[in-house]
Amino acid sequence: MPAADLKPPFGTDPGHLGPAGGPSDSGTDHATWRRRALWVALLLLLLSLLGTAMVLARRFQENQVLQQLELEASNMVSDIRTGLNRNVQTLQSLGYRERSPGEWEGPALEVLEQNREMTRLEWRDPQLRLLTWRNSPFHGRDQSDRRSERIQDIVAICAQARRTSAPAYSPSNFWPQEDGRGQEEMEMCLPKISHGEVMGYLVVSYSLPGLLSELLDSNAARGLGVSLTEVDGTRLAMSGARPGGQMMVAEHLLELPGHVMMLRLDSPRNHPGLTPLGVTGLVSGMSALIVLVVVMLGWDMRLRQQAERELAEALAFRKAMENSLVTGLRARDMQGNITYVNPAFCQMVGLEAGQLIGTNAPAPYWPPEMVGEYQRRQAIRLAGQTLPREGFESVFMRSDGTHFPVLIIEAPLINAQGVQSGWMSAILDLTEQRRVEALSRASQERLQASARLASVGEMASLLSHELNQPLSAIASYATGTLNLLAQAEDPCDATLAQDMALAMKRIGEQAERAGRVIKSVGDFVRRRGPSHELERKAVSPHALLQAVLPLISLQAQRDGIRVVVDIAPHCPDALCDGTMVEQVLLNLARNGMQAMPEEVPPAASGLRVLTLAVHALPPQSGRPWLAFSVTDHGLGMADEVAAQLFTPFFTTKAEGMGLGLSLCRTVIEQHGGALTHEAAHPRGTLFRFTLPAVAAAGTPLPTASD
Amino acid sequence: MPPNMAPHPTDHKVYIVDDDASVRDALSWLLRTRRLLSDTFDSAEAFLAEPCWHAPPREACCLLLDVRMPGMSGLTLFERLQALPWARLIPVIFLSGHADVATAVDAVKRGAFDFCEKPFSDNALVDRVEQALATSRLQVQQMAEQHTLQQRLTQLTERERDVMQLVIAGLPNKLVADQLAISVRTVEVHRSRVFEKMGVKSAVELVNMIRNA
Repeated sequence: MPAADLKPPFGTDPGHLGPAGGPSDSGTDHATWRRRALWVALLLLLLSLLGTAMVLARRFQENQVLQQLELEASNMVSDIRTGLNRNVQTLQSLGYRERSPGEWEGPALEVLEQNREMTRLEWRDPQLRLLTWRNSPFHGRDQSDRRSERIQDIVAICAQARRTSAPAYSPSNFWPQEDGRGQEEMEMCLPKISHGEVMGYLVVSYSLPGLLSELLDSNAARGLGVSLTEVDGTRLAMSGARPGGQMMVAEHLLELPGHVMMLRLDSPRNHPGLTPLGVTGLVSGMSALIVLVVVMLGWDMRLRQQAERELAEALAFRKAMENSLVTGLRARDMQGNITYVNPAFCQMVGLEAGQLIGTNAPAPYWPPEMVGEYQRRQAIRLAGQTLPREGFESVFMRSDGTHFPVLIIEAPLINAQGVQSGWMSAILDLTEQRRVEALSRASQERLQASARLASVGEMASLLSHELNQPLSAIASYATGTLNLLAQAEDPCDATLAQDMALAMKRIGEQAERAGRVIKSVGDFVRRRGPSHELERKAVSPHALLQAVLPLISLQAQRDGIRVVVDIAPHCPDALCDGTMVEQVLLNLARNGMQAMPEEVPPAASGLRVLTLAVHALPPQSGRPWLAFSVTDHGLGMADEVAAQLFTPFFTTKAEGMGLGLSLCRTVIEQHGGALTHEAAHPRGTLFRFTLPAVAAAGTPLPTASD
Repeated sequence: MPPNMAPHPTDHKVYIVDDDASVRDALSWLLRTRRLLSDTFDSAEAFLAEPCWHAPPREACCLLLDVRMPGMSGLTLFERLQALPWARLIPVIFLSGHADVATAVDAVKRGAFDFCEKPFSDNALVDRVEQALATSRLQVQQMAEQHTLQQRLTQLTERERDVMQLVIAGLPNKLVADQLAISVRTVEVHRSRVFEKMGVKSAVELVNMIRNA
């Protein structure tokens, strides 16, 4: 990603952290709703299209089946017609050869046996009188008594046959049979014409079911219902199974001379619909594929949308993170042009992002006197030198001209292609850190100076004490001797006694002089030092501890020691010289920490704790007191060490002078308090000192109620 | 030891508490030149074994106390001494180096007899010790008298005490007899017994004795 792409898409206004919340919500709602509506419409269209295609395909297939059925029907009609014509030829030959009825019956029976569709043959003379007849052996019945019922039909068709000199057919009639069933039969009249003169008529009765079963190809009619009907639809005969349910029907006219009938084919309708083959199958398959593709597209879009949303969230998150940083961020391209700054950086140098982006060396925040050095540095960077990872310190300038120290940590900016596109710098404002450091240094120096002075004062005080003792003894002896000389009742030598008294007096005077010299040195040191005339002021215990805590914490951090401060509530103010007491606290705390060297006690024990505690004591000699304690969990003290603890110039430390604790005791005793020590629980040593406290007027001391 | 260094009869005691042996010896010696007896102690703790902690001393006494010592400090010892009911019988003079002057002054304000700054060049310290002893002696005497009076009073019977009350109030025998509803003769007997037991010869003496106590 090139560095320029880091520019926020919506300006560098620090308050603007991304797309506004409210409107975008309803906007996404609306968009979602519209997107869903589109999807629903698309699906509906697709489904209707598929439905239409399938209906059309089905209808097309049905039409094909129907056409085939109709073709079948016309074939059947021609089969029937062909069969009837063949029969006419057979009958014509029968009519010509036989002259007498006796001769005729034999061949007639043969014809009937060969053509089962015929039920009866009659031979009539030209006046239509019945000469002879034969019934079909297959239909086995005697119908002679019922001929008269049909004579009119026979007369009508024979008249027609005679007119046309061609066979003629009668409408069908129902012939009941002996077993209660019956069948439709029709008559055909075939005139016997010889030399243009009618010689007689051959009347044949056809069984309509027989026509269907004998004249049609049984294979072609399989699975189909074949029936003969009147033109008006009345069914006359039927063969083959007639399945229930919806049927497809094909009809064809069977036109016979003298009579017209209808051949009807019934085929089950569901037959083509059940097989999703052909066009329907193809359309269905393609529809399924289309639906699948649409669904996959939708899924893909969902994934994309999710990715987009996540990207937007990541962007907003990064934006908020950059804006919340107090560390300044600055990106520069390979030419050194600033391509991005975060709000913290703008605030640091006091310039707007717009004033910074795009600028090159010298940058507006470079102090004018350092431009040369910075440009050299930039040249080094552009030449591809690596920069120290821990960063380097520099000085920047605010827009108002003030300089401030910064720590710059730079890292190369690598884009998505793995090529360096610039540098990213993190800039820390060191002003506050420097101020704290200076402050801490100053306070440490102040404390050290006063500690030094206090040490000198303590030394003088100790020296004067140590010298005063022998001087006191000398003076006492001198005075005592003078006393004795004065009391001597019988001095053996008055002159000698006088001289001795003078000498003794001189000795006393010199001792006194030495004492005065010591006193003046001590006074001088004390006048110069902080211990000169203790300044007793009311200081809160909190303030005393706060003054030394920073210094203690520095050492504690280095040694991995936790410092615990425990100030009892409602502690009165201490009446003391704050600076001196701070020295004492510092001294005791340092001793405590030195008693806990590395891994004594081990860090895991949780005992690497230095406790500074303050609590009030019950009033003593008319005033309240405070007890301060400093507790370590170090090695503790051997008895011989404890015995010499406060002896001046006694020390267990290699670099110590042995004045620390002695000085502490002096300070505390000057305040009227006492410095004591005891073993701490579970290990270590507790130092405790007392200081007079201010009696708070009107407010009862907390210890008074205890 | 020269005869003039022989101390007075033991009607007094100076206690010296100082951790420095030479100072103790020198002081003790100086006091002896002024015929003062002293006991020395090398620490405050050692002094705690003295009988004066348990009963009021019978003789005049004085404590010379060093302010600064290892272990219990002079000031702490002084505080404990002050807590005794007979603290005024034991005046305390602090011995201080000048670093401890402020402390010593503070102690004087809290009831110490005086303080002396080391080194002590002349007899000023011994003079102050004698003054302290005088004060102490007075206190001891007073206490002893009180003690005697108390003991004599306990010897009186109840009736004798009633008679004494009225005699002190200045009533003549007759009125005393009237008030107690006894005969004048009986009053006279009681009265002579009271005089005898209290060790006085007259009513005036008796009144003075009671008043002084």
